[in-house]
Amino acid sequence: MDLLTAPFEAAREHARPTVWRPFVAVSAVMLAVVGSGRVLVLQGGVLADLGVALEGVGVHGGFIAQGLVIALEGQGAWAGSALRVAAMLLAGFLLGRLAPWGGLLLAATPLVLLQECRQYPILSRIGALEPVRPGSLAIGLGVGAFLGAHLLITASLTFGYGVSVAGVSAYAAAVAYDVGANALSAEWLFRGALFSHWWRYWGFWGAAVTSTGLSLVRYLLDPALPHTVEARAGAIFYLAALGVATSVLRAWSGSLLPGYCASVAFFAAYRTLVVW
Amino acid sequence: MVGAPLALLVALTAAMLWEGGAPVSPVRHLFLVPGVWAALTAGAQAGAFVGLMAGFLQAPLVLPAIERVGLTGGALDGLVSLVTPALLGAVAGHVRDQAFAGARRLDALLEIQRRLAADEPMAVRLDAVVHVVRGCLGARAVGLVVGSPEGPPAVASVPPGAALAPCSAAAWCLASGGGMRSRDLATDPRVTVADVSSSPRRAMALPLDAGAGSRGVLAVEWHGEVTEATARAATEMALHLGLSVENARLTLRQRRFAAELEEKVAAATARQRDIDRAKSEFISVVSHELRTPITALEGFSELLLSRPVSPERARRFLGHMHAESRRLGRIVTELLDLSRIEVGVAPVLTRERIDLAAHVERQIELFAGVHGGHRFLWRAAPALPPLHADPDALDRMLQNLLSNAVKYSPRGGEVRVSARTAPGGFVELSVEDQGVGIAADALPRVFDKYVRIANPKTVSVRGLGLGLSLVRALAEAHGGRIEVSSEPGKGSCFRLLLPD
Repeated sequence: MDLLTAPFEAAREHARPTVWRPFVAVSAVMLAVVGSGRVLVLQGGVLADLGVALEGVGVHGGFIAQGLVIALEGQGAWAGSALRVAAMLLAGFLLGRLAPWGGLLLAATPLVLLQECRQYPILSRIGALEPVRPGSLAIGLGVGAFLGAHLLITASLTFGYGVSVAGVSAYAAAVAYDVGANALSAEWLFRGALFSHWWRYWGFWGAAVTSTGLSLVRYLLDPALPHTVEARAGAIFYLAALGVATSVLRAWSGSLLPGYCASVAFFAAYRTLVVW
Repeated sequence: MVGAPLALLVALTAAMLWEGGAPVSPVRHLFLVPGVWAALTAGAQAGAFVGLMAGFLQAPLVLPAIERVGLTGGALDGLVSLVTPALLGAVAGHVRDQAFAGARRLDALLEIQRRLAADEPMAVRLDAVVHVVRGCLGARAVGLVVGSPEGPPAVASVPPGAALAPCSAAAWCLASGGGMRSRDLATDPRVTVADVSSSPRRAMALPLDAGAGSRGVLAVEWHGEVTEATARAATEMALHLGLSVENARLTLRQRRFAAELEEKVAAATARQRDIDRAKSEFISVVSHELRTPITALEGFSELLLSRPVSPERARRFLGHMHAESRRLGRIVTELLDLSRIEVGVAPVLTRERIDLAAHVERQIELFAGVHGGHRFLWRAAPALPPLHADPDALDRMLQNLLSNAVKYSPRGGEVRVSARTAPGGFVELSVEDQGVGIAADALPRVFDKYVRIANPKTVSVRGLGLGLSLVRALAEAHGGRIEVSSEPGKGSCFRLLLPD
């Protein structure tokens, strides 16, 4: 019991935060990579595929790098870990552009991140560990599947959107993208780093609402989101519900994995939605 | 816990679909039931969750209707039906949680008071209390430190085994009387812990202060979320613990006081009984002592009055009568002195400059002339200072001491009298015999009034039990004191210390 045994100094204050400088640096690099990717895409030609890959790496690699900076408090060899993950993402995105099944390589990104987590036990503070409650992965999958199924039913009944899978390879690549980039980076940054950090200071609801709000901004800025009003309203509702649900799962299980499973299951369902 | 309400929810949805799926179906009102059911059985979180699920299940029926016909009254009704179950479940569950928490807290407080008042060792009581507190607050760890003025503070903790470190937060609170609260021990700069837990570790260290200063510290640690209500409950519990500890301490003090009082009353009663017995004995002895000379006076005076006696015989009778009347006078004088002492009047002294050696030697010679059965040895240290004392009182003190020495030592025994200077400006006059001695437990009482120490070898010795009491009173009137040392079977030594 630390209150009885751990050394205590009533007058000691917080050390100056060391996060900001690396965080700004990562954000700047992220913007630069995304910008250069955009330029390459706009120029077209053979480098357009590289541009798309750079955009993906910039966004998702940047989110994971930001999460690493926050989780490691700007200390340690976060840059090396971020570069390894970014390299994996780049390989996945590039292969996905070059071959129909190449995008499946993205699904290996969590393994790279898992390897990085083993090097830094302090990352368990953000939930990078196995869940303490048995069955929480199944519950996470169930939550995501429920929200995804609800989305499909409601959208098809309300707006007449279709539910179909255009091709197995395209669907698998989309799911691999969610597994290795979309859901992974969102959960890592918004639920892992930010929610875990703010939860310690602001309590559950403060942290859950803020981190979910930021994740909503991230998705609303995503050019891949359909631009219709009803699609955006639906995105806000379901992504907010997903954000709160994954925050609950993160707090309840102590791990990011159930929330990550929920996100993957939700997006796996979402990928079958055909917006007219 | 929420399985049955969820099943009901699914059944209601099926019923609504079977009825046609109209958003304004009367069945929609029944969607409130599962949420309230879950709230009342499992609390606010379950109620809100089931209510939320009710909203989700109704949404595919309500939203298409809004899309078709616009935001009509019916559509609005449907929207309200979406939101209401979650709100009602949360509110009903919150009310239920509050009521349960209040009842649990009250139970815990009563249990704490009962445990602390139990007639068990302090460690056992505190151990029981920390378990109750932990259960009530849903904490991961609880520590209780109760300060002690006599020694180190008592510590109990659950999980058990935590000792109080002198530089810890609890020790700081105990010393300062203040409290501390941490949103997260792992990131709190004031606490040095090696912690990589994935949840915040909320903690509170609260002084047990019931208004009379801090009596200890209640330390509580949680993993994860802690509501303000729980934090308030911890504060309230610390206050009650402070009161209970204070009450337990007062009860303990009261018990000790009662035990001491009982002992004192018993001792006083025994002493009073001794005094009563001594007084009874005294009256008996006084009656006998007075009766003896009076009988002699009556007898000899009757002889003189009833028949003619020769002048020699008459003279002898008158001599006996004179001796008995002197004895009677001495007894009366002692009784008068006793009476003065009883009312707190110090004997009146007429101090003179006395050559102690010569004075004592003369008295011993006179005493030895009457008590030829004992040997008297007198030794005075050279250059004794002159004594400022009442010669009559000095004679009476010496005679009482010598008389005691003679009475309580066998015939032919040796009585040693000596005088010397003593530290502190005193002259010590000691009388030592080879008599029966006095038991150690009786020594403190030998100078008390009416007290005669029972000894089978001295039952025939006559006396009022006043001699030593008078010696002490006269010594104290001179500003001196009397001391005694004795060994049963070997003799006693009385030391009279008088200022020079």
